[in-house]
Amino acid sequence: MLHLLKIDLKKMTSYRTFWVICGLYFVTLAFTTASGMEILKWIASKFEDFGSSVNINRIPLYHFPDIWQNLIWVSGLFKLVLSVMVVISITNEYQYRTLRQNIIDGMSRWEFVLSKVLTNLLLSVMSVVMLMLITMVTGLIYTPELVWADIVVGTEFLLAYFLEVFAFLSYALMLGVFVQRSGLTIVLLMLSHMIEAIIKLNLFRESLKPSIGWLEQFFPLQAITNLVPLPFARYAFQEIQDYVSFTAVAIAIVWAFLFNYFSYLKLKKADI
Amino acid sequence: MSEVVLSIQKLTKNFGKLCAVNQLDLEVKRGQVFGMLGPNGSGKTTTLGMLMGVTNPTSGSFTWFGEPATNLTRKKIGAVLEHPIFYPYLSGQKNLELNAMVKGANPANIPKVLDIVELSDRKEDKYKTYSLGMKQRLAIASALVSDPIILILDEPTNGLDPMGIAEIREIVKRIAADGKTIILASHLLDEVQKVCTHFAVLRKGKLMHSGPVDEVGKGEETVEVMAYHDDLSVLLQEFVGSGAIKKENGVFQVMMKDGYHSQDLNKFLFEKGIVTSHLITKKKSLEKQFLEILSEAQ
Repeated sequence: MLHLLKIDLKKMTSYRTFWVICGLYFVTLAFTTASGMEILKWIASKFEDFGSSVNINRIPLYHFPDIWQNLIWVSGLFKLVLSVMVVISITNEYQYRTLRQNIIDGMSRWEFVLSKVLTNLLLSVMSVVMLMLITMVTGLIYTPELVWADIVVGTEFLLAYFLEVFAFLSYALMLGVFVQRSGLTIVLLMLSHMIEAIIKLNLFRESLKPSIGWLEQFFPLQAITNLVPLPFARYAFQEIQDYVSFTAVAIAIVWAFLFNYFSYLKLKKADI
Repeated sequence: MSEVVLSIQKLTKNFGKLCAVNQLDLEVKRGQVFGMLGPNGSGKTTTLGMLMGVTNPTSGSFTWFGEPATNLTRKKIGAVLEHPIFYPYLSGQKNLELNAMVKGANPANIPKVLDIVELSDRKEDKYKTYSLGMKQRLAIASALVSDPIILILDEPTNGLDPMGIAEIREIVKRIAADGKTIILASHLLDEVQKVCTHFAVLRKGKLMHSGPVDEVGKGEETVEVMAYHDDLSVLLQEFVGSGAIKKENGVFQVMMKDGYHSQDLNKFLFEKGIVTSHLITKKKSLEKQFLEILSEAQ
């Protein structure tokens, strides 16, 4: 297992595009999540221009336990950047035909898929660790009264975040295996949410919504989104889901498994 | 020496309606340098692709070393199919390190194989900066890195200049002298005749012929004769062993009848008081035999 991961990392670590994309991903992720207070200050200053005032200290954006869900939801937006890297990694293997040579050299097709999945796992874990560090640092700075129990509450979102990133990277990998061309795959990846939304819109018309609307949560991208619900409505006095739903986790795990299994099936049957 | 390393039974591959490989039976034994001949599109690469696990056979089977093939058997084989394939952004050295990792080979072999293909000077340069000849040589190096028992080379001299072709041929001969089994697919007959011990001819996916290269041209002999004598052509026709006689560029080409050889002709001319200035025995070339095999099939 470790050997396969090392092989895939060796392909990547001398590839400049890999470092540029991963660097951009982690830097923008870190800066965006850490600068929420600055954004709030900017919004407040705009409000002041209109003569009204907002006390941003009453918005507990960076207070434990709110901070977990807030930052994790925002970082979820950045997974697209990482998934582009995954697409490039797999479509390169088709474009350069190195996948063929890997098999000729004695890799089994299963091992090849596994080496890519292991890299996806590593990237997901790194994202989680990164986010945990940012959350801990900013949370400790901004939370006025630290209560240990508040810090622990909400860490369940770390697990959800891990699954969110890993499932999406698995989806990107599968798309790459099926489409095989990098440009087209990236475009499809970016349009995926929209395509799924349009399908749902046509499928679940208003009249049908009460009867089969519950099926919506089983759609692959919806399942990934459902892991970490949008938290910010709570600051406009709305009720939100501030916990990780067990059903959402179960559905996302099944999808993550299926994405990778489909990649394997496709590769197994193909002449390469 | 006669241990069978590769045995193919009724191997078939269809691409839709097209039958690329048709009921192929073949055996390769240890130590052979086995040439696979055939026109372009005769199924050589498809066959090798199936043997190396990248093309799924439609039917039939094959065994490596007497065992059904798995990815582990492939690790014991060094193979380059069609074009050299490497990561363009990695250096030659890094590409070989990666090959060694995939094959589970000792990376200590890398300097050795780089020396064999004379690429040690350029090993730190990126693969994409290599010339075609260097790419082909790196491909041979990668096939050798695991110190394989068998080497499979598919058109290793494709697109090379005459010097590059000669270099690759030298490398192949050196490797063959080490006792390795080599399977060489090519449409260059000259190449196969120069380096191979055995050969098979494929046409439209079917095996047309298989046998040792030595046996090519047995039985028939052509003798090239030149002498400073005006009546040479008349005398040649008088000789009982002469078959057809042709004159090309001032040189007579005499097809010998069965049982007659060049020394008989020489003796005959000498007795007639003619000393030849040029006398060469030409065996039938593989090219001729190849064309015959292909035309027989039509």
